Amino acid sequence: MADTAASVARTPVTVLTGYLGAGKTTLLNRILSENHGQKYAVIVNEFGEIGIDNDLIVGADEEVFEMNNGCVCCTVRGDLIRILSGLMKRKGRFDAIIVETTGLADPGPVAQTFFVDEEVKARTYLDSVTALVDAKHFRSALETDRVVKEQIAFADHVILNKTDLATPEELNEVEARIRGLNPLATIERAERSGVEIKSLLNQHRFDLDKMESVANHHEHGPDCGDHCDHDHGHDHHHDHGHHHHGHNPAHGEPGHVHDEHCGHDHHDHDHHHAHGHLNPIHDNEIRSVSLSSEAPVDGVRFTKWLDKLLAEKGQDILRAKGILSIKGEEKRLVFQAVHMILEGELQQPWKEGEHRLSRAVFIGRHLDEAALRAGFEACIAA
Amino acid sequence: MPFAFEKHFDEYVVAALFDSADEPVAALGDGRVVFPDADATFEAHPNGGILSAAIHPSGVGIVTGGDDGRVVWTTKESGPVELFAAKGAWFDALAVSDAALLIAAAAGKKVHVYDAQKKTAVIFEHTSSLSDITFDAKGRKLYAATYNGVAVWFSRIAQQKPTLLKWAGSHTQIAISPDDKFVMTAMQENALHGWRISDAKDMRMGGYPAKIKSMGFFAKGKLLATSGANGAVVWPFLKANGPMGEEASEINAEESTMVSVVAGAPEDTLLAAGLEDGRVWLAELQSTGIDWIRREKGAPITALAISNEANRLIFGDEDGNLWVYEAE
Repeated sequence: MADTAASVARTPVTVLTGYLGAGKTTLLNRILSENHGQKYAVIVNEFGEIGIDNDLIVGADEEVFEMNNGCVCCTVRGDLIRILSGLMKRKGRFDAIIVETTGLADPGPVAQTFFVDEEVKARTYLDSVTALVDAKHFRSALETDRVVKEQIAFADHVILNKTDLATPEELNEVEARIRGLNPLATIERAERSGVEIKSLLNQHRFDLDKMESVANHHEHGPDCGDHCDHDHGHDHHHDHGHHHHGHNPAHGEPGHVHDEHCGHDHHDHDHHHAHGHLNPIHDNEIRSVSLSSEAPVDGVRFTKWLDKLLAEKGQDILRAKGILSIKGEEKRLVFQAVHMILEGELQQPWKEGEHRLSRAVFIGRHLDEAALRAGFEACIAA
Repeated sequence: MPFAFEKHFDEYVVAALFDSADEPVAALGDGRVVFPDADATFEAHPNGGILSAAIHPSGVGIVTGGDDGRVVWTTKESGPVELFAAKGAWFDALAVSDAALLIAAAAGKKVHVYDAQKKTAVIFEHTSSLSDITFDAKGRKLYAATYNGVAVWFSRIAQQKPTLLKWAGSHTQIAISPDDKFVMTAMQENALHGWRISDAKDMRMGGYPAKIKSMGFFAKGKLLATSGANGAVVWPFLKANGPMGEEASEINAEESTMVSVVAGAPEDTLLAAGLEDGRVWLAELQSTGIDWIRREKGAPITALAISNEANRLIFGDEDGNLWVYEAE
C-alpha cells in the first residue's frame, strides 16, 4: 500500500455476536442512546429491531462470499466490504464501528473480512469479537444449535448476560462451559446488557502487539489442586476418538480423558489466576489445545509446521494465538490465526530476566491434541 | 502547475466529473455538491453523505446517490432536486443512459431504474447485493455486477427474469465496451473478468497486485484502463476477440505506490491516473511522455476525470482537496 495509507488512523470495529435472545438489541439500543462520549456507526442485520432513529445505523444483508483463492474456508461478508467502504467516506462522523451479526451467524466470515480485503484492512481493524450469552438459556441453546459454540469459540470477550435470571450454580456452570470452549476469552457478567460501553472498545484483541492474554491466561496445571480448593471434577462427557490415554495417570482416575490442561504443562505457576477457579467443562466437538515449551523453538520449523497445519486443518481451527521464544532471536514471535488466515511477526524483545515460555493455543473442532503436541514438540530447537 | 481551481473541503471527494458542456462538478462525502467554475456549493444531501454520482442523462448537472435513501439531481442553476427515494437505502452505485434518459441507482439487492422523462421507476431485485451497474450504449439493457456474475435486465420492463453471465466470485466493478461487445468486471480477488456478449465466452485476466477499484473504457472504446497495480493497466480492444490473447501494458509504474483511480479521454488515447500517494499524471499513449499534473504527495486520490475536449482535469482526494487543472 502507499506510504500515506499507513498513516491514516484505522477505525476500530467490534463484532457483536450472540444467540437469539442474548441481549444484542438491548445492548445496541444502549450504545445508541446513552451519552458515553463516543460516536458509533452501527451495522445491524435487522433494521426494525433498533428503537432509536439514528443516521449512523446501517442495515446489512449478511451475505457470505467465497473467495476464489483456493482456500476453502476463506469466506467474507461481501455486504460488509461495501458498507465499510461507504462509511470510510464519512470519516470524522464516528469513532468506532460495531457490527451486529444475526444470532444464527457463524462469526468466521465477518472476522475474516478484516483480514482478507486489503481496503478494509487498510482503513479499519478488528478490535474484538464480543459474544453475548444468555445465562439462563445458554445450555438449551448449546443443545439446539452448534453456532452457539462457534460464537463462543471465536470470541475474545464474552458478556455473560441476564445473570439476574440465573442461580449462582447455573452461572458457574455456564461460565465453566464457556471456559471449556474458549480458554482465551475474558468473561464479564452483566444484567440487562449492563456493561460499560467504553469497555467494548479498544480491546485490541487481534493486535499482535497486545497478546498478553495468551501468555497470561489461566492454566489448570495438574498441581493446581495444591493451591486451589476446588476439586478436579472435570465433567467427563467427552467422546474422544484420540488414543492419548497413556498420558493421563496424573489424576489417578481410570478412564480420565485428558484435555490440554492436565498433565503436560509447566509447573512454574507464574501465571496469573485471572478468573475464579472454575474448572472448564469441555465440549466434545469444540475444544482448545494449549501447547508450551520452556526450550526455545526453531523458527523455520515452527513456521513451516504452522503453515501446513492451517492449510490442512484450517477449516476446523477457528482461532489460534501464540507467543514464541525463537532460538537465536531476541524478539518474540507473535502469531494469530482465524481459520487459514495467519498473521505473524517478530515483536518487541523479551525483557531482561523475563520467563521465555513459548505458548500456542488452538481453538477448534475435533482437534487432535496428540498430533498437535507432537507437531509442536518437533519444532523445539535442539 | 497551473490549477484553475484548488480548494480544501475537508470531506472525502466521492466523485469528480465533467458534464456534457465540460462544466466540472464534484460530490463530497458529507452530501455537498461543488461546481468549481462558479465556486458554488449545494447541500444535496443535507443530513447524509454521498456514496455515488454520475452526470445527469440530460448532460446537465450531477445525480448523486446518498446514504440518506435519496437520489438527487443538482444543477448549478437550480440547486438540488430529489428524483426518488427509498427509506433506509444506501445508494452506492449509479449509472445513467444519455440515449434512453434513464438513471439507475443500486442499494443492497435492489436497483431502481428511473425514467428521467416520465419520472417513474421500475425496481429489479437480485439474490445478492449489487456492487456496480452500467447501461449498454443505447440504454436498452442494464448490467449489474453481483456475487457470482452479472445480471442483465431490459431497462424498461417491470416484470422479467434477468439473464445471467456467470462466473464464481464477487464482481465489484463493471464496464461495458461502447460497441456493446464486451462486458468487463473487476473481482474481489485482484483480477479482471470479462465476457464476450455475443456468446458469453469468458476471459480472465489475473496478475493484479491489488484490488481494482477503478476502470473504464476510453479512446473510442479501443482501450480499457484499470487501477490495481503500480501503474495504470491498459488492455487493447482492437480486434474481434477483444483482449483475448493480447497483452496488457502497464503505464508509468511507480514502485512506491499504487494507482488508485484512472480516467481516459473518451475520444483520445489520453490517460490520467491518480495515485495512492496523492500524485496525478497524464499520459498521451501514442508518445512516451508522462506529464506530472500534481507532483506533491498527499492523501490518496479518490476521484478523477478528463474533460470531453481533453483540455482539463478535475480530481480530488480522501482529505477533501479538489483541483481543476487546465492545459496551457
